[in-house]
Amino acid sequence: MSKKRKKTGKESPGVTRRDMLKIGAAASVMGPTMLTSWKSYAQTSVAEPIICDVEPENSPPHTPFRDNLPIPSPAIPVLLNPAPTKNANTSKGEAPRAPHQRWEQFLPDVQYYQEARPATQRFHSDFLPSYFWGFNGKYPSETPLNFYGSPTIVRFRNKLPLVHNNGGRNEITIHLHNGHTASESDGFAGDFFGPGFFKDNHYANAYAGIDAFGGIGNQLEAMHTFWFHDHRARWTAPNNYLGLNGMYIVYDNIDTPFDFLAPSSSLRLPSFYGITDIPLILTDKIFCATDTARGRTEMFQEREDPEIGSAPGGDKWVVNGKIQPKHAVRRRKYRFRILNTGPAKEWNLMLVDSNGVQKPWTVVAVDANFLNTPWQPTGNLRIPVASRYDIIIDFSQFAVGTSVYLRENAAQFVSVGAAPISAGLPVENVLMRFDIIGNTIIPDTPPIPSTLVQLPTLTPPDAFFEWRFQRPTTPGLTTCAGQNQINGLAFDENRVDHAVLKGSTEEWTLTNDICTNNWTHPVHIHFEEGRVLSRSIRLNPTTQPDVRTPVALLPDEATNNARRDVYRLAGQERITIRLQFRDFVGRYLIHCHNMGHEDDFMMVRWDIVDSIAELNHKRRQIAEQRRAAGLSVEDGLPTYQRKDSAS
Amino acid sequence: MNRRSLFANFMSDKPVEGNPSFKPHPASKGAKRFTNALLRTHEDKEVRFYDDLIKGRQAIINMMYANCEGACPLITSTLVKVHKHYKERMGKDLFMYSITLKPEQDDPAALKKFATMHGAVNLPGWTFLTGDAFDIKTIRFKLFRINHVNFDLDLDFHASKLRIVNDATNVYTHANPYTSMFTILQHISWADPPKPYDEQLKENIEIQKRIDREVKVYGYRKTT
Repeated sequence: MSKKRKKTGKESPGVTRRDMLKIGAAASVMGPTMLTSWKSYAQTSVAEPIICDVEPENSPPHTPFRDNLPIPSPAIPVLLNPAPTKNANTSKGEAPRAPHQRWEQFLPDVQYYQEARPATQRFHSDFLPSYFWGFNGKYPSETPLNFYGSPTIVRFRNKLPLVHNNGGRNEITIHLHNGHTASESDGFAGDFFGPGFFKDNHYANAYAGIDAFGGIGNQLEAMHTFWFHDHRARWTAPNNYLGLNGMYIVYDNIDTPFDFLAPSSSLRLPSFYGITDIPLILTDKIFCATDTARGRTEMFQEREDPEIGSAPGGDKWVVNGKIQPKHAVRRRKYRFRILNTGPAKEWNLMLVDSNGVQKPWTVVAVDANFLNTPWQPTGNLRIPVASRYDIIIDFSQFAVGTSVYLRENAAQFVSVGAAPISAGLPVENVLMRFDIIGNTIIPDTPPIPSTLVQLPTLTPPDAFFEWRFQRPTTPGLTTCAGQNQINGLAFDENRVDHAVLKGSTEEWTLTNDICTNNWTHPVHIHFEEGRVLSRSIRLNPTTQPDVRTPVALLPDEATNNARRDVYRLAGQERITIRLQFRDFVGRYLIHCHNMGHEDDFMMVRWDIVDSIAELNHKRRQIAEQRRAAGLSVEDGLPTYQRKDSAS
Repeated sequence: MNRRSLFANFMSDKPVEGNPSFKPHPASKGAKRFTNALLRTHEDKEVRFYDDLIKGRQAIINMMYANCEGACPLITSTLVKVHKHYKERMGKDLFMYSITLKPEQDDPAALKKFATMHGAVNLPGWTFLTGDAFDIKTIRFKLFRINHVNFDLDLDFHASKLRIVNDATNVYTHANPYTSMFTILQHISWADPPKPYDEQLKENIEIQKRIDREVKVYGYRKTT
């Protein structure tokens, strides 16, 4: 009954007048008790998809560059009812959580409402609508545009169906990647909540270093391009594939909105959201054959494959919710915020002209952090899952009437009869097209400054700790096909694998400790940004497992001092990073952001505590747990000196 | 029916015929996913894989063979622990199926011997299965294939996975048998039928009390 009590908006084509009459009749007999339950939870009525049983070899064909690039609309602030509270409003349906930390200090100025619910949309005009799960029924989700110093509350309400056909899971927990967010609002993988419930995530929109610097923290820690996504343990890949993610931007006085109004003290990069500052949200999908009888082209959704994700990657490349779109630009600078939402594909991008010749673009920010100096990559720009790259393209270098293309290294399946753009540029390698349609109307921004930002000083480490990303052999097996794990253990939401003292700095070593294969792990650490200090590689894991050879830092790390929150670890690679843990306490995660690996529990919990007694207690607990599991205790505890092998 | 046969029926793998509570989910792919192959249990009874064993039920499925020395005994002992944990539910709405990877070698007697050796015999709801080699291979590919040639053709790889399904709620997931007991039980519980809103709300209020206590004592939330 409650199923039909939804406001009949445009999202509910299935409700007929007859249904409405039935609902009216039902509501009158249901009485007051039923009324409270539909108020607290009304199910949406988008017809469930009928997904093909067998994974299709190819999606249906599409015509390249038919659709315009959609731009996610800015999220509109609302006044939430019931009003957000410091303590969880459990009796009104809020998921249980600890009270918001620093609530009085960062009382929310702005409130947003994001409702996870099913909806349909056409991923290409040649396709019929596809069923997906999105926030407020949109794909991509709306973008909250925020300011440092203006704290926000985002209420995530779960209105996913109780019964569903697809490979996703109707329970969610939303992580803001990579906000300096208190644990209770950080989307911890075990804190998921089911249909009908909601959770208020409190984003202070403050820089790291609130305790040390006062006010809103250390401005040198500024981050700007965030994204929020579902983090449900075991079902992160399918839920993200289904569309539960979106972008989140925070401005400040060096990175302002509306570049033409920007003060000269700011960076004055193109930043008119939707006009000169455009998110490019990348993902790959695969679709079942079009079902004209039901009027659907459904996404294929399930694949059991811990290597490449329990959600499938696919042969259709989707930018902002459209396959191979085109976008009209004018001869001036644009900023594109490229985001890889996974679930598993790594992008290797390049800007090329119609002959396939590479054209310059400038990277100004990596994973939300401005580079020290801008970087012009030669060759492919590699974008691991969950990474963000802010790039500036100056279209004034191109003539009006020409087109340039975003090229991907690998090829996709496009369609029958799609002519190659040129010998040097096959159309199936193109992600999207930019058409230069005229001279600029809004004045162009000044040249990109040669120094973008200063970096925060690295504090000396209080302790050293190593995280080893492993996939060991299993008894009787020669292939490395065991449980994806970290330091010998898989995710357990109630087990702490490392504890750090609030305010301290640690040097962490991240090791891709795969036994023989070369899986890449894009490692993500919640809460804090880090700088890569060194990289090394194990050339021969079988015969010389302890011999490591130093390798060069990535170009942006070496010369432009990139700060990151997703660290790409190639097979057998090891890096050291320095992190400082400030301002908040609680439960946080470190995991591989290949969502397939993450769902196979290459993810563990670490905690920030604020007393030495608690820290020591935690460490004793970790030692006991490891002893009980038959693992080396030493490997689970930090050291106070750098290990020699950690170079 | 004497006491002995009543006991045997209760303890055996024989599914409850026509039990109305075993209703498949409307979106269940049914026999198309699981096959409806005719299999033979360790008690030497004939069963249909989907109709008699999976339909409308929650099940934990693994693959093993009787003379396997590495993984199978280890996983079987893990499953014995799982069985102990779910004693109340086993055989009622939760079932365990161990399917042989080597049906040519493992006849019902061999399976029963293996089960007895590992303390897994006569446990309600736990059935060891053998059958035609082609059918078993089909089931193996239907349930455990990951589209990776090296792994898919390696029999040992199939011995190292637990498939968890609930045909009543259309949940299809897996757990790694070498991970902690906590993680395995948690994955099984994620295939449980969903709780009604009001029941969850009551639970949430209890969880909230615990969190508040933790925050008061330790300064932050410790458990989920």
